[in-house]
Amino acid sequence: MTMTATRAGTTARRRPGRRRIATLSPSWLFAAPALVVYAAVVLYPSVAGTLYAFTDWSGIGADRSFIGLENFRAMLHDDQAMGSIGNTLLLTVAVVVVQNGVGLLLALGVHAKLRSRALLRVVFFAPVVVSPVMVAFLWKYIYNPDPSAGLNGLLGLRVDWLGDPSLALWSIAGTVVWQYAGYSMVIFLAGLEGVPKELHEAAMIDGAGAWQRFRYVTWPLLAPAVTVNLMLSTIGGLKLFDQVFAATNGGPGYATETLSTVLYKQAFVFGKFGYSTAVALVLAIFVAAVSLVQIHYTRGREVAQ
Amino acid sequence: MSELRDARLSRVQFFRMMGGLAVAAAAAACSTKPETTGSVSQGTQLRFVGVADQKAPMDELVAAYKQARPGVTLATSFAPTDQVQTSVRTQLGAGNAPDLHVVYPGSGSAMSMTQIAGAGLLADLSDQAWTRTIPTGFKPAFQKDGKTYIYSAGSSVIGAIYNKKVFQEAGIDGPPTTWTEFLALCDKLKKAGTTPIALGAQTPWVTQLITYALVPSTVYAKDPAFDDKQAAGQASFAQSGWREAMDMYLELQKRGFFNDKPNGTTFEQQISMVATGKAAMAVQVSAVLPDFRKAASSPDDLSMFPLPGADDAAQVWIPAGVVVGLGAGAKGKNLAEAKAFIDFLGKQENINRWAKAIAAIPLTQDASSTIDPAVQSFLPFTKDKAVPFMDQRWPNAEVQPVHFAVIQDLLAGKIKVDEALKKMDEAYAK
Repeated sequence: MTMTATRAGTTARRRPGRRRIATLSPSWLFAAPALVVYAAVVLYPSVAGTLYAFTDWSGIGADRSFIGLENFRAMLHDDQAMGSIGNTLLLTVAVVVVQNGVGLLLALGVHAKLRSRALLRVVFFAPVVVSPVMVAFLWKYIYNPDPSAGLNGLLGLRVDWLGDPSLALWSIAGTVVWQYAGYSMVIFLAGLEGVPKELHEAAMIDGAGAWQRFRYVTWPLLAPAVTVNLMLSTIGGLKLFDQVFAATNGGPGYATETLSTVLYKQAFVFGKFGYSTAVALVLAIFVAAVSLVQIHYTRGREVAQ
Repeated sequence: MSELRDARLSRVQFFRMMGGLAVAAAAAACSTKPETTGSVSQGTQLRFVGVADQKAPMDELVAAYKQARPGVTLATSFAPTDQVQTSVRTQLGAGNAPDLHVVYPGSGSAMSMTQIAGAGLLADLSDQAWTRTIPTGFKPAFQKDGKTYIYSAGSSVIGAIYNKKVFQEAGIDGPPTTWTEFLALCDKLKKAGTTPIALGAQTPWVTQLITYALVPSTVYAKDPAFDDKQAAGQASFAQSGWREAMDMYLELQKRGFFNDKPNGTTFEQQISMVATGKAAMAVQVSAVLPDFRKAASSPDDLSMFPLPGADDAAQVWIPAGVVVGLGAGAKGKNLAEAKAFIDFLGKQENINRWAKAIAAIPLTQDASSTIDPAVQSFLPFTKDKAVPFMDQRWPNAEVQPVHFAVIQDLLAGKIKVDEALKKMDEAYAK
């Protein structure tokens, strides 16, 4: 009797479940395994890690206590952290503008009917596949302050590229642009391939010159590529770490300290894991906010055209 | 096509097959288990993570240990200071620390003995015989609350590594014994067309060495208890000989004794400048002498002398710090074996071997101890005119990086000595 009752209960309970599965769209079912892995590997650790931002954990040992918003309050009075926000923003603006400008010019160049364009595309894209740390070390040699070596030797200059506090940040921006302009180029190139030839022909018949064709035909149709490029380079710029760490380690002084190098140093050099997590949290929120605002505006431009 | 369709598995068959595989895997796991435990009983493998400077002595001593104790093998890995700090701290934080790992003496870094032992993550080594012979002056570097937590083979000194050939060509007979003589020597070298001092201040840790070389004379020669007073809040960087030392540092720059653009020059470039004779000397720690020798055409070209930080030769003191060492993880599974290895390192002959490999002064000495001829000139100071590297007594890991940054800013002319010392005092108070 009990057995039957239980069985009946189970079936009764099962039915709505089945119906629910049936109503779930198949795409969710296919995505489920990946989502589970994503939740376990990315979401859970991120959320669990966030909790450390409210503690004074040193990174080792079990000794930690909950200190509320103290870490965030400390950040407001931390010259190094606040200074690094300024550096991060300057670096991001420089990288976004120059990298995409150069990327667009390269894309227009290799989109033209040049015989060597396939080779040039490979050449311009090549730095992208090299590890950023390797690129930084390479540029450390190029930026040698010795007047007879590297860039100074080539240009006949006596510039202290990485050692002058007012210049070091821009030197690093140069490295980043050198490495990732090819990346922007590829995305713009994909956009350019999608511009219909007929429009160009029609504009030509109407008497439009090269600049007018770019301004009124190519540029509006490149809007999706611009959106993607701006977003990727902004995110890349805001969380820049490898190149700075390998080239200057945040120096000279604090001239090239970015939010990423500060959070690294707080965690592993100063042994302030809790504070470092707070900085990381601020960085993550900052990147997300900037990206959302940017997408909103650039998408608007896509719809408008 | 039809063959393919026939070959397709029904769902039931598929699950049956998977279940079978799982059972087979479990069975295989069970059957291999006894083998694994068997191999553990035959031999233990200890994992060691060290800093790059430790590779030469560790390679030699691990090989020797293999002969002395064939059942134990050591898997070693080495990385530069920054990386090793990151990886070992992460492993310590995650609870899977290596059996043996690098530990910095004293208290001033995130991987220092005081900080890690304070978190209860280092094994107490006090029952080992060698710990009873640690010279009194070095005890703060090795011990916390009277217990020893770190092994180190000895001490290294900071002074001027110089190229003998360049000195000879400039007509310089012997090393200087006072600050005025040192300035005159630099002047002579400059007039002879050589850069007197190579400075690779782009590499952060290199920035500190000139202050470290001068401060023993400008601070500790006058007040040997400065560290204790500073810890008690009765002394500060700003109100001490630190100011004089920084002024002397900048005087060297003002007189044009450094290479052009030291902030853009790296440690590696510094080595090459001295080794090839482009520069006459570099203020460095004796532990990197082997690196300079490797880069020189003949290793005998290079030697060292103490940097005189005072105008009265009797007031010249030198920095002699305990070299980076190692400790055993308190929670390691093979703790007994790990401690046995450290006990092996503590034998006098092994202290001698380690010290020789890095041109250090052995912690304790016997008839067979050798001292690198390049550091002989420091020995008269080691008894009562030497102080540990300053960071080994600093209370937290922030003072040292602030010191690096303010030196770079001073060299760049971005700040003045007042501001530099104020920042260091602020970091000390944190």
